Amino acid sequence: MPDKITGFKTLITKILVFYYTFSFSYVIFDKPQILNTKNQRFMSYKQEIFDVFENNASPEEIEWLQKQAEKNTTGIKMAFVGAPRFISKKGISPFTISVKESNFDVSAANWSLDQLARIYLLLHFDPTDKDSYFSTIESLFLSADINEAVALYSALPLLEYRKDWTFRATEAVRTNIGEVFDAIAFGNPFPAIHFNKQAWNQLILKCIFNEKSIHRIVGLDERRNEKLAISISDFAHERWAANRTVPPLIWKLTIPYVNDQIVKDLDYLMKTGDNDNILAAFLVLKASTNSNGKALLNKQKSKIETLGDTQLTWKYLEK
Amino acid sequence: MCQSGNEMRQNPSHFEGSPEEQQSAKKVENNYRDYIKGMNFFDPHIHMTSRTTDDYQALADAGVRGIIEPAFWLGQPRTGLSTFQDYYNSLIGWERFRSSQFGIKHYCTIGLNSREANNVPLAEQVMEILPLYLYKEGVVGVGEIGFDDQTPEEEKFYRLQLELAKEARLPVQIHTPHRDKKKGTERSMDIALEMGLDPRMVIVDHNNEETVESVLDQGFWAAFTIYPFTKMGNERMVEIVKKYGPERIMVNSAADWGISDPLAVPKTAALMTMKGIPAEHIKLVTYNNAIEAFGQSGQINESDLLEPVSIDQSKKYSGNTVLRGGQQPRIDKSSVIIK
Repeated sequence: MPDKITGFKTLITKILVFYYTFSFSYVIFDKPQILNTKNQRFMSYKQEIFDVFENNASPEEIEWLQKQAEKNTTGIKMAFVGAPRFISKKGISPFTISVKESNFDVSAANWSLDQLARIYLLLHFDPTDKDSYFSTIESLFLSADINEAVALYSALPLLEYRKDWTFRATEAVRTNIGEVFDAIAFGNPFPAIHFNKQAWNQLILKCIFNEKSIHRIVGLDERRNEKLAISISDFAHERWAANRTVPPLIWKLTIPYVNDQIVKDLDYLMKTGDNDNILAAFLVLKASTNSNGKALLNKQKSKIETLGDTQLTWKYLEK
Repeated sequence: MCQSGNEMRQNPSHFEGSPEEQQSAKKVENNYRDYIKGMNFFDPHIHMTSRTTDDYQALADAGVRGIIEPAFWLGQPRTGLSTFQDYYNSLIGWERFRSSQFGIKHYCTIGLNSREANNVPLAEQVMEILPLYLYKEGVVGVGEIGFDDQTPEEEKFYRLQLELAKEARLPVQIHTPHRDKKKGTERSMDIALEMGLDPRMVIVDHNNEETVESVLDQGFWAAFTIYPFTKMGNERMVEIVKKYGPERIMVNSAADWGISDPLAVPKTAALMTMKGIPAEHIKLVTYNNAIEAFGQSGQINESDLLEPVSIDQSKKYSGNTVLRGGQQPRIDKSSVIIK
């Protein structure tokens, strides 16, 4: 018996040793690989942007951009400012870039060619010295016109020392300039990756308050939280008290946090007689586990049937 | 979505007055507009920073498609470089956005105004950041620069900025002084010519009956500011166009924080129509000439002006339901009920 125990202990020890050795070696051998991947990925942002640019630009525009990207810091800054004098402002078809060390993509749904050129140039500042890298890009922010600001904010997920741009990113949420807000809010994974809960909720609520559709915000489902769900409910009460409405899609944000108050809200939605409201309430109730919610779902079956198509999803409310 | 026009129509005000009352009130209010139906205007000098959003609405309603906001002083002297920079930023940022909400294309000229040129240490710092702004999109000139008190300091910075304009190949918008105007105007033109500027690239502003002839004779553009009490009245303006014709003449409001009228350009056009000036001439002095003069910057695309709702729409506004050029929700100003 003691032998058995000893043997078992030995086996465990062997496994542990093997495990630690393996993981240690994993760390040792993998670390350079991570760095390597990082560099490759950094190169690939440039390459990915350039590939899209190349597919949309004229030979003159391509030549101009390549020439500017080779310049020193001041030269690149000047090229960034002057880009629209040399690059057309035409829109380019949607594309995505997967962002390193994250589960999210940049989703460039309506970028323009000059914006793309500006972002490409931003990726050419030397990041070796963090302070000068920061002050270079920060100086562009401090003198940016609207289109420059849009290019800068949409490039944030691709910049070096990414997390350290978080305060700057929250400044775009504070702006009242529609396009600048859109540049951080839509198709941009930066908030989903780096915003704390407070900043994230502010982004969502400001978006709703400004009557912009939330569906293009990256990480909408992943970053749902209870505080936000309660704020959504409070916001709806305010709007209803003022005889105004809220977009049905926002109720999606309450799904994991449906409490009895929110069930009452959904009941109210059902009673508005608006098909989109009824659909939203239905979709929340279907996904939620709240028992009062389940009861409401049963009670309102007939209303839900008036929708006709019960296969409708949130996609239908993304407008 | 929320606060849509439909909602407003569903809930009409109970204080709207009889249809007859409304009709006659509208007629008095909008009478001059009957004379400018379908006309487009361009105000090449207006300080929207000091105007309200209601003025943007009124400009859009009166047919103003584009404006130029020259950098000027703010009614009191600035105390540091940062406030200059923030001001320039507002001209290329916030005002541009505010304007776009009403479908009006907003351009600006950037410069160090003559009054603040007298604060030499600060002026020197401002000169260092000016080039950064002159190459921005939508910056259509260096302005408004020139003389106020006509001091040596003003001359120094005027010359330095003419040099910048030459380098950047931008038009120059010259502010002519209130006091000792004739001499100040001549001096501004002499210096510009002496420094080798093409008079076709120079817009001399705030002209009057006394200055116009020399400005036109030397090949400069002559701008007239319709501004109550201190500058031109629009009846005088009509006489000037009758006398000199429309060539190289443009009208602006220079509306700012003073008692001024942002609708000076459309109102003057209406008066010109009433007084029998040919429509083609009115179009030149209230639209085309300014666009041609400042368009030499390469920064004005006339098609943007005529289709303001589609400005940058391809890339900026798709998918948004609000804050789109020309689609700002309307409110009924005559209603006592505010929703």
